Amino acid sequence: MVATACRYSPLLLLALMWEAAVRTGLISDLVLPPFSAAVEGWWDLAVTGDLFPQAFASLRRAALGLGLAIALGTTAGILMAWNAKIRVFINPLIQMFYPLPKSALIPVTILWFGLGDMSKIVLIFIGCLLPIVVSSFNGARGVEDVLVWSARSLGASRRQVLWQIVVPAAMPEILTGIRTALAISFVLLVSSEFIIARDGIGFMIAGFGEEGVYDRMFACIMTVVAMGFFADRLFQLFMRRVLIWRE
Amino acid sequence: MTSDGAAPRVALPDPGAVALSALFWKVAPAIPIVGLFALWQILSASGAFNPYLMPEVPAVFRRVALELVNGEFLLNAGATLYRALAGFLIAAALAVTIGIAMARIRIVHWFFDPILSVGFPMPKVAFLPVFMLWFGAYDASKITLIAFASFFAIAVNTVAGTQGVDRHLVWSARSLGASERKILWTVILPAALPQILTGFQIALPLAMIVTIVTEMLMGGVGLGGAMIRAQRFADSIGVFSGIVQIGFTGFVVIFTMRWLRRRLLSWHEEAKR
Amino acid sequence: MATGAAIAVENVSHHYRPPKKRPVHALDQVSLEVGDREFVALLGPSGCGKSTLLYLIGGFMPIESGSIRVNGNLVTGPGPDRGVVFQHFALFPWKTVLGNVLYGLENIGVPREEARERAQKYIDMVHLTGFEDAYPNQLSGGMKQRAAIARTLAIDPDILLMDEPFGALDAQTRGLMQEELLSIWQRTRKTVLFVTHDVREAVYLAERVVMMTARPGRIMESVDTRFDEAGPGVMDRPEFVEKASYIWNRIKGEAIATVAARAS
Ligand SMILES: Nc1ncnc2c1ncn2[C@@H]1O[C@H](COP(=O)(O)OP(=O)(O)OP(=O)(O)O)[C@@H](O)[C@H]1O
Ligand SMILES: [Mg+2]
Repeated sequence: MVATACRYSPLLLLALMWEAAVRTGLISDLVLPPFSAAVEGWWDLAVTGDLFPQAFASLRRAALGLGLAIALGTTAGILMAWNAKIRVFINPLIQMFYPLPKSALIPVTILWFGLGDMSKIVLIFIGCLLPIVVSSFNGARGVEDVLVWSARSLGASRRQVLWQIVVPAAMPEILTGIRTALAISFVLLVSSEFIIARDGIGFMIAGFGEEGVYDRMFACIMTVVAMGFFADRLFQLFMRRVLIWRE
Repeated sequence: MTSDGAAPRVALPDPGAVALSALFWKVAPAIPIVGLFALWQILSASGAFNPYLMPEVPAVFRRVALELVNGEFLLNAGATLYRALAGFLIAAALAVTIGIAMARIRIVHWFFDPILSVGFPMPKVAFLPVFMLWFGAYDASKITLIAFASFFAIAVNTVAGTQGVDRHLVWSARSLGASERKILWTVILPAALPQILTGFQIALPLAMIVTIVTEMLMGGVGLGGAMIRAQRFADSIGVFSGIVQIGFTGFVVIFTMRWLRRRLLSWHEEAKR
Repeated sequence: MATGAAIAVENVSHHYRPPKKRPVHALDQVSLEVGDREFVALLGPSGCGKSTLLYLIGGFMPIESGSIRVNGNLVTGPGPDRGVVFQHFALFPWKTVLGNVLYGLENIGVPREEARERAQKYIDMVHLTGFEDAYPNQLSGGMKQRAAIARTLAIDPDILLMDEPFGALDAQTRGLMQEELLSIWQRTRKTVLFVTHDVREAVYLAERVVMMTARPGRIMESVDTRFDEAGPGVMDRPEFVEKASYIWNRIKGEAIATVAARAS
C-alpha cells in the first residue's frame, strides 16, 4: 500500500504542479482549468450527470468488439499454424489488411452500420482482429516440435495435441496479442466516438470541448485514462495468473 | 498405434498430378485476394446493395489511378506522411533519451515510471481536443498529438531494453577501459536496440492510426481529411479509394520499418532466421 | 517379414532440409536390429545422427528412404508403445511435475485413482518426492530430466527410446538412476535403445553397444557387452576395462574426424 503510494507519488506531484501553474497565472485558466476544477467537474458529472452510463456504453462497445475479435482471432491464428492449407488462404488477406491504419475504416463503418453501437463494435472488432490472429499464429507455430512429439508418444491424438499442447504453449503470445488489441480497442473507441456518435465517453469529451466546458472535458479525459489504465492492469493480473508456470 | 500421421513413401503419385497441384499451391495465395474483389464486384453489380454503400471495384480503382496521375494522392500522402513521421521522430528522440536516462538515473526513473505505466495503456487520442485547444487546428496540434501517442510505447520498450542489458557486457567493457559515455554508445545502445526497435514497431502503427484520426477531425490536406470530405459530399467512391490509398501508405511505412530493423540488426541472431 | 526383432531399421537415410539452407545429410543407409527385450546402447560422436535415428523410430518424422518396423509393423507415426525420453526433456512447462507424469496415464485411459498412485510411485522412484507441484521452470536440469524419465516410465511402454537420459545428472544421481533403470529392465524386460556419450555407461548398462560414424551417420560396429558378473563391481574387472577402452578408441577416431570437419 505504502509502496504503491510512493510509486505513484509523482502523479500527485504532477497534479500539484498543474494546479499551481494555473493558480499563479503561469497558464491561463482559459486554456487549462485548474486540477481542482476538473475534479469538481468529475464529481458533478458523476453524481448528477450521466458519466457512468456513458462510460458504460463505451466500455460495452469495446468489450463486444474485442470479445468477438478474441474468439475469431485466436481460432483463425491457431488453425493457420495447424494447417498449411488454411494458412495459404488466410495469410494473403492478413498481409493485405495488417498495415492499414484501421481508423481509415471509420467512415465506412458509419456508412454501413449507422451512428449507433454497431459501427463502433465492428470497427473495434476489425482493428483488434489482426494483432490477435498474428500473435496466435506466431505462438502456435513456435511450439517446439519435441513437445508435440512427446505428447504424441504419450498417447495423445492429433486433436488432443491441439488442445493440450499447442494452445497452452501458444498462450503467452496469444495473451500478449490480446493486450495489444486491448489498447487498440480503446484508441478506436475514442476516435470513432469523436468523429461521429450520439453517446459515449468520447462523444462527451468532444462535446464539452466544443462547448468550451473545459473542466468537464478534462474530467471525462481523466475518466478515459483511468479506464484504459485499469483495463490493462486487470488484464495483466489475469495474464500473470494464467501464466504462473512461467515464473 | 503405428498408423496415421506422416505416411512413408510407398507409391509415387502421378507426376502430372504433382506438377498440377504444385502449380495450384503457387497461385493459391492470390485466390483469396482476387476472390474478395470478385465477391465485392458481384455483390455491388448485382444491385442487392445500394451502390452508395458498395461502389463497384473498377470505379474505385479508376479513382485511385486518377488521383495518382493528377498528383492528388502524392499531395495528400505527402502531408500525412510528413505529420506521422515528424510526430514519430520527435517522440522517438524524446522517448529514447528519457528511457535511457530512466534506466541509469534513479530520480528520473522515480518520476517517469508511474507516468509511463499510466500513459502506456491509456488511449492517447482522448487528448486531441486538449491539443486543439492549445495549438489550434493545424499541423502543430496534429504533430504534437502524434508524438504524444507514439512516445509511451517507445519509452517503455527503451527502459525494458536498457535494463535488460547483460551486466557482464557492461562489466567487461569497463574492465577493458571504456569510458561511461563510450559504454553507452557502444554497449548499452546496441544491446538494447532490438527492443527499442520493437517499441518503434508498436508505436508506428499507432502513430498512423492517430494521424488519420486527427486529419479526419481537423480537415486540411492529407489522406484522412480527403476521406472525410468525400464522405461529407456523399462521394462513396472517394471514401473507398481513400481506404486503398491509406492502406498503401500504411504498407509502405510498415515495410520500411521492417527493412530498417533487418538492416540495423544484421548482427543479431534474429536476422539469421 | 516377421523377424523376432522388436525394432528393425533397414537402409534408412535421412536429410534435414532447412529452408533456404543446404540440406544436411544426417543418416546414411543405417540398418540396425534390436532384439525383443534387448538393451542396446548407441554411441557416436556429437552430431552423427543418433537423435535423428531415435526420432525416426519414434515415428515423429517421415521416413524418406528405407523402412523401420516395430514389432513387425511399419512405423508411420508415434504411439505409446514406444516411450521416448528426449535429450532436452520436452516437459510441458505449463504443467506441474505431477501433471506431466499424469498426462500420458490419462491419455491411455488409466482410471484417475490408479493414475495418481502410479504417478506418485514413479515420482518417488526418481527422487522427486515433494516436488509434485513444482513447475518445470522451478527445477534444475537434473530434476527436469528425472521428471521426464518418470513421465515416460509411468506409461509402461514395451519399448524405451532414451536420448542421453542421464546427460544432465550429477555423478551420484547418475549412478542411482543407472541402477534403477537396470532393475526396471530386469524386472519388466523392456526393449531399450539408449543413446549416450558415456562409454562406460554404455558398456555397463547395455547388452550390446552399437557405434556410429561421424556425419552422415552409418553403423560402424556392434560389440557384445554382456559379462558374467552383474552389479557396479563389474566396472573394475579387466574384461570390462578392455571392452571399454576398445570402444573408446574406435569412437575417438570418429570424434577427431568430426572436430576436423567442423574446423574446415
Ligand atoms: N532440425 C534440423 N535442421 C537441420 N539440421 C539438423 C536438424 N536437426 C539436426 N540436424 C543436423 O543433423 C545432424 C544429426 O543431428 P542429431 O541431433 O541426430 O545428432 P546427435 O547424434 O543426436 O548429436 P548429439 O550427440 O550432439 O545429440 C547434426 O549434424 C545436426 O546439425
Ligand atoms: Mg542428440
